[in-house]
Amino acid sequence: MRGTVTIVFAIAVIGISSPAVGQQTREAQIAAEQAEKAKDLRPYERTTAEQVFIRLTRGFTETPSGFYPAFGSVYGGGGFTLGAGYRRFYGDRTLWDVKGLYSIRAYKLVELATQSPGHAQGRLDLYAQAGWRDATQVAFYGTGMDTTPDARTDFRMQQASVTAGMRARPLPFAIATLALSYEDFTIKNGAGRRPPVQSAHSPATAPGLGASPKYLHSAASAGIDWRPSAGYARRGGLYEIGYHNYIDQDQTLSFSRLDAEVVQHIPILRENWVLSVRGRVQSTLEAADVVPYFLLPALGSGSTLRGYSSWRFRDRHSELFSVEWRWIPSRFALDMALFYDAGKVTSRRSELDLKSLKGNIGIGARFHGPAATPLRIELARGQEGLNLVFSGGPSF
Amino acid sequence: MLMKRSNVRAMAAVGGVLILLTISGVGQTRRFFDDDPITREPETQDASKAQGRDINLVFDLAMNLFTRPGDSTADVRARNINTIDEVPDSSWFTNRILARPVTVDEAARGPLSEEGPAPGTWTITAPKRAGAAPGFIMRDSKDQLWFVSLDGRGHPEAATGAILVANKIFWTLGYWQVENYLAVFQPGNLEVAESATIRPPSGVRRKMTRGDVDAILRGAHRSVDGSYRAVAARAIPGRPIEGFFYYGTRSDDPNDIVPHEHRRELRALKVFGAWTNLIDMKAGNTLDTVVSDGGRSVVRHYLQDVGSTFGSGANGPHDFPEGWEYLQDGDLTAKRLASFGFLLKPWQTVEYQDHTSIGRFEGDAFNPAEWKPRVPTAAFLHARADDNFWAARRVMAFSDEMIRAVVATGQYSDPASAEHLARVLMKRRDAIGRAYLPAINPITDPMLDSAGILSFRNAAVDAGITQAPAGYQASWFAFDNATGENRSIGDTTATTARIPAPPDLRTGGTAFVKIALRATGGPTSWTQPVDVYFRQQGAGVWRLVGFERLPQPEQKSNFSSEMK
Repeated sequence: MRGTVTIVFAIAVIGISSPAVGQQTREAQIAAEQAEKAKDLRPYERTTAEQVFIRLTRGFTETPSGFYPAFGSVYGGGGFTLGAGYRRFYGDRTLWDVKGLYSIRAYKLVELATQSPGHAQGRLDLYAQAGWRDATQVAFYGTGMDTTPDARTDFRMQQASVTAGMRARPLPFAIATLALSYEDFTIKNGAGRRPPVQSAHSPATAPGLGASPKYLHSAASAGIDWRPSAGYARRGGLYEIGYHNYIDQDQTLSFSRLDAEVVQHIPILRENWVLSVRGRVQSTLEAADVVPYFLLPALGSGSTLRGYSSWRFRDRHSELFSVEWRWIPSRFALDMALFYDAGKVTSRRSELDLKSLKGNIGIGARFHGPAATPLRIELARGQEGLNLVFSGGPSF
Repeated sequence: MLMKRSNVRAMAAVGGVLILLTISGVGQTRRFFDDDPITREPETQDASKAQGRDINLVFDLAMNLFTRPGDSTADVRARNINTIDEVPDSSWFTNRILARPVTVDEAARGPLSEEGPAPGTWTITAPKRAGAAPGFIMRDSKDQLWFVSLDGRGHPEAATGAILVANKIFWTLGYWQVENYLAVFQPGNLEVAESATIRPPSGVRRKMTRGDVDAILRGAHRSVDGSYRAVAARAIPGRPIEGFFYYGTRSDDPNDIVPHEHRRELRALKVFGAWTNLIDMKAGNTLDTVVSDGGRSVVRHYLQDVGSTFGSGANGPHDFPEGWEYLQDGDLTAKRLASFGFLLKPWQTVEYQDHTSIGRFEGDAFNPAEWKPRVPTAAFLHARADDNFWAARRVMAFSDEMIRAVVATGQYSDPASAEHLARVLMKRRDAIGRAYLPAINPITDPMLDSAGILSFRNAAVDAGITQAPAGYQASWFAFDNATGENRSIGDTTATTARIPAPPDLRTGGTAFVKIALRATGGPTSWTQPVDVYFRQQGAGVWRLVGFERLPQPEQKSNFSSEMK
């Protein structure tokens, strides 16, 4: 009997408590549902997923004061790198930024910087930074194009530097940069299993061998740039020329170098495809200057000859040509590219021609946003085999 | 067999409860109430406690791009429609065009109630808080608060023109709209309020300066005479509490009981959005305000920003795929990835006329069914053929004259641009009619007169989209409103949109009649009958109380369901 009564009571409660029933008009029916909801009003609360999402994305999409995850490269060949940073604004847009990076090959970077963008009606950005990096096993194969992969030696490069500079855009398409650095290099034996540089080379084949120079490095560049963004573009171009002057504090390894780069993105069928081409030349200006082997123009991996390992070719002059056929599976996040790179390094500027170029072909995936390419993964094949590139920036 | 005494008591208890339930109305299956169909959505509870919320636009974008928020049930009939398949007026929607005569002048005036900002000095109180267009918040010389947005640099009249025109269109369609006025000002007319503050990238709020105003103006298009063209939006009445999502309900609004993805007027934005190319459907472009209505606080829902319409956004023309593809579509991405980009879509070849102030907007290749906003929108994904039909009729109700009058409010300096916009809107309107009116049984406006003649209209035929069908067939039923049972009275046919009732209807004392009405000799979709219900309100006086174009009796409809 008790069970039956319970069931009966339950039926009655369920029936009577349903707000949609027992009403004589439509308005009353709706009013009953609204009255029912009014018993349990709650302010909007972010779900756990939303809170986590916001916390994670804030470091990427905003620049608030505080800690943030840092990505980037310590130095070419360092491999996958992660780090963290802390920034603090002390003006509307001016901030202090300290960050540390560490790579799977134990490359390290610590950097303290201040950035102050947006001066002169948004046309001028100023910055200064002091940093120290330790590239533990940088490759040196000798100079020229005739070296072999098994000739690899390693060195460890530690570099302390202080830099102040500016980036200007005096006209909508015109760009100019100026920078002055003090750079203190300490060169040691590499940390890996590779033989040290001095075991296979002399100062004749590895200029500046044994030296740990200190430089006053000044740099200037100018050009036109009508790409929507340097970090990611499907149209526009860059035509830029730059000058570097390294003054060795010991007066023995001073040199100056001219860099020139041309990038052109040609959209096809409303950016369904993009034909991107690039040419780059780096040339040491004075024949008598001695450029230390670790600061010679170089090609290999990264965004240069992607089918070859990092720093594969070094010499006093270099030229590089790249062409990419890009297609856009997702305008939101993903570009693909088939590419061909060709280039060489030479000891004489007169040898910068189209003969005896080393080349590679490859395919790449670029995960991008509207103005940046946080991740680029490319597989390239050159004459020495396959090379996989992971990078945190555009190819060019 | 004799029952035990306890069992007798139990049965008596059950019987007593059932009697009580019957008396109280619980458990009855009455389909139509005396006040059906309602024309106004009741809002009976006080919503004064509804609070603002900080909507994270990136999370909202990610939710809509990569998940399917809201009800996962497919093919759900809209839940805020009344028993005759219409949307009652509410704090979401006000029936205007099609529901009543709307004059050309009325449509062209739209939501505007007075005049724009008073001339004289404008005192800036804050920078613009939302949207990509440059702008600021100011008080005019009469101390009226305005939200000012400007054309992007290099894109004269594009953003402001789109706002002005779309504003009138969406008001005429029935949505709550901000009052947007065209305003032209010289920088010298601007001053910064003492109390004005700005939040720079550092996040540390500080006093706003003239330099900040100059920085805003640098991003805007300046006319050759040094003036700036702007849209000034009058502050919305009430207490703003941020926007609404196109799914779910507000947990702090007691009157918000229908999930937004099941509100017909929100589903219909798929069609209206396609017509106007309103691609930016996000919570950030909506605004809820708490207003006093009839002595009670209710939440009113505005489509606040309808500026990403036609061919232009806040700072330039729409990207080529916008309106054609979602920002991210996994299936398309995979196909394009595998095909090296050789999976081509119409947007890659469609031709656009060169009108800077209009942007990329065309009507020849436009396919309403294929149109897409920037991100998937939950309410759109739930839209059914009856929702699309409902919306398409409203689009088709815009005459050429009305479209031209509304476009004229954009005050484009180049008459050719205005004419281009009007013509494209007409083409897209007609494409919408062709896509959605014949796709479902298009019978509308049924009436049953005292002579027993059922008359109605055919929206597709009236619009000149299709030829009249060979005939119509009506199956008549006496309908029991208490039980939901139907008793056949007979079938009648006609070759026109006037069908006589069977004799039994005219002689019987039926209180409710149901008519299943289909077309014969027309498109296949027209053979699916619409169910029409009339209530007899006196001798031979029949009142329409029910209309189901696409019935789905097994699913709940808040405003028209049977009582369970």
